[in-house]
Amino acid sequence: MSTVAVLSQTFNIKGGDFVNAGEPACKIRNILREIGINANVIRRVAIAAYEAEMNVVMYARQGEIRLKITPHKILLEIEDTGQGIEDITLAMQPGYSTATEEMREMGFGAGMGLPNIKKNSDIFNIHSTHGKGTRLKLTFKLNGKTKK
Amino acid sequence: MGKLKNKTFFHSIKIDHNRCIGCVQCMRYCPTKAIRVKNSKAIINKELCIDCGECLRVCEQNAIVPITTSSADINKFKYIVALPSPVLFSQFGQNIMPDQILSALRAIGFDYVYDEAWMCEMTSMAIEKYLGENREQLPIISSTCPVVVRLIQKLFPSLCKLIIPIEPPREIAAKNLREQLSQKHDLKKKDIGIFHITPCSAKLVSINHPETMKYSHLDGALSIQEIYNEIMMILKKSTEPHLMDVQNRISGIGIGWAISGGEIRGLKSSLAVSVSGVHDTIRILEDVEAGKLKNIEYLECLICPDGCVGGPLTVENRFVAKSNALRLIKTFGGKKKVDENLFMNLYRRGFFSFEEEVKPKPFPALDRNRSKAIKKIQQIDRIFKKLPKIDCGLCGSPDCKTFAEDVVRNEAKMEKCIFKKKCERKK
Repeated sequence: MSTVAVLSQTFNIKGGDFVNAGEPACKIRNILREIGINANVIRRVAIAAYEAEMNVVMYARQGEIRLKITPHKILLEIEDTGQGIEDITLAMQPGYSTATEEMREMGFGAGMGLPNIKKNSDIFNIHSTHGKGTRLKLTFKLNGKTKK
Repeated sequence: MGKLKNKTFFHSIKIDHNRCIGCVQCMRYCPTKAIRVKNSKAIINKELCIDCGECLRVCEQNAIVPITTSSADINKFKYIVALPSPVLFSQFGQNIMPDQILSALRAIGFDYVYDEAWMCEMTSMAIEKYLGENREQLPIISSTCPVVVRLIQKLFPSLCKLIIPIEPPREIAAKNLREQLSQKHDLKKKDIGIFHITPCSAKLVSINHPETMKYSHLDGALSIQEIYNEIMMILKKSTEPHLMDVQNRISGIGIGWAISGGEIRGLKSSLAVSVSGVHDTIRILEDVEAGKLKNIEYLECLICPDGCVGGPLTVENRFVAKSNALRLIKTFGGKKKVDENLFMNLYRRGFFSFEEEVKPKPFPALDRNRSKAIKKIQQIDRIFKKLPKIDCGLCGSPDCKTFAEDVVRNEAKMEKCIFKKKCERKK
């Protein structure tokens, strides 16, 4: 009997590295395409991965994205060591942002990151310790009812 | 390759195997990795090719042949119309005006010539109108370049719904012309042959296999290269400009469509971006898919460098052609030549709209079975790790990563890697 196929990959993210930001999201997208995942799911994963990655780049020192694909779901775990989120309820509010003026001038920090990630994932799980870091666990279902 | 399921993809490029020496140049440049070299001959995978023409540019053996409409097919029609791309006007130096070029086309034997630039301006207005009314999902992406449309269908299927559902000027112009000419000259519509004079062969793909309508309004396409000498001979003979009823209708906004940024030049929106070149187009579409560009309203993507003036079937150096086009834009001005009422009338009737929406046609997955596909990805990784990673192309695949994929897809054999052989012999 064959075991359940699981693909796991880890991508590192460096805080403050705006130059290379977006690469992991792009690689993830390519993997999903090769597996033949539905285009809409790919788009949702790509958006969530990019937004989560940008959060690490903007607010944390170091982080990683762990991708796990099984025949039934896609799991994204984004963990960072950084300042953490003081008030998660507040951070989840659309438009709320702690971004600096410089970041906003660059077009980041519109306060839509976390709400957008939540909107695009099927299961959204966030855990943060102020002063230590944040961990996001996102699930995207591949069978049955999923978001559009 | 070999086991293609979808045989319906028409392509405007073929490889002449008598000329091909198997040099791997085209394979390296192909942005969708659609080319393999087998038994010293290049082969195009029809499912992966998007007709961008990159291979055509780099082949030094002239072994990659663009397909255009034959003169026999043109002469089948009773009444022949030339519909040149505005790029044609940029090909003959700075002193030759569009009306001279249009007259030369008449002298070659076309019964009628039509300046598309006017229709380009009309299309600009339709885009403007559409942008004003549809703002739910941004950016809206241009539909002008048939290669970009195919690229989105295959590589970015989730973005199909962002393509503006407005036909490009060449199609709208042909639709309009057939209507008018059949009435004016009492001709049957099928007796009129309307031919685009094109800077690229990809237009032939959208003519033979339109994605957004049942049948194209055009009957074929000729390349600028094919017709250049004939026009030149006539221009040489007479420098007198022929008097034609085109001068006052030629539009600066329309001529702008020949170069990158032309489509958005006529728009009021300041949040429009123009991109040209295949690699930059792929990069920006990746950004769109990741949701990075939601604050941009309109995205003009043209697959050729600098836009259509950079088409592979043009004659004039693209930088010179661009300069010529810019001069013409200045000469003919940015003032609108189109009548607002006529435009609104047509727009409301849906004259510019797609008949069908663009459907996703994603690249084939590694396996239909998801479990097997996941296992194949792991297999590819394992094989890739063993390869030299210098992307020499000697195996017949464009790079080591793609070779690993080909091995897993059962389309290449591991022994094809000459370095792999060496490594193993040492052991």
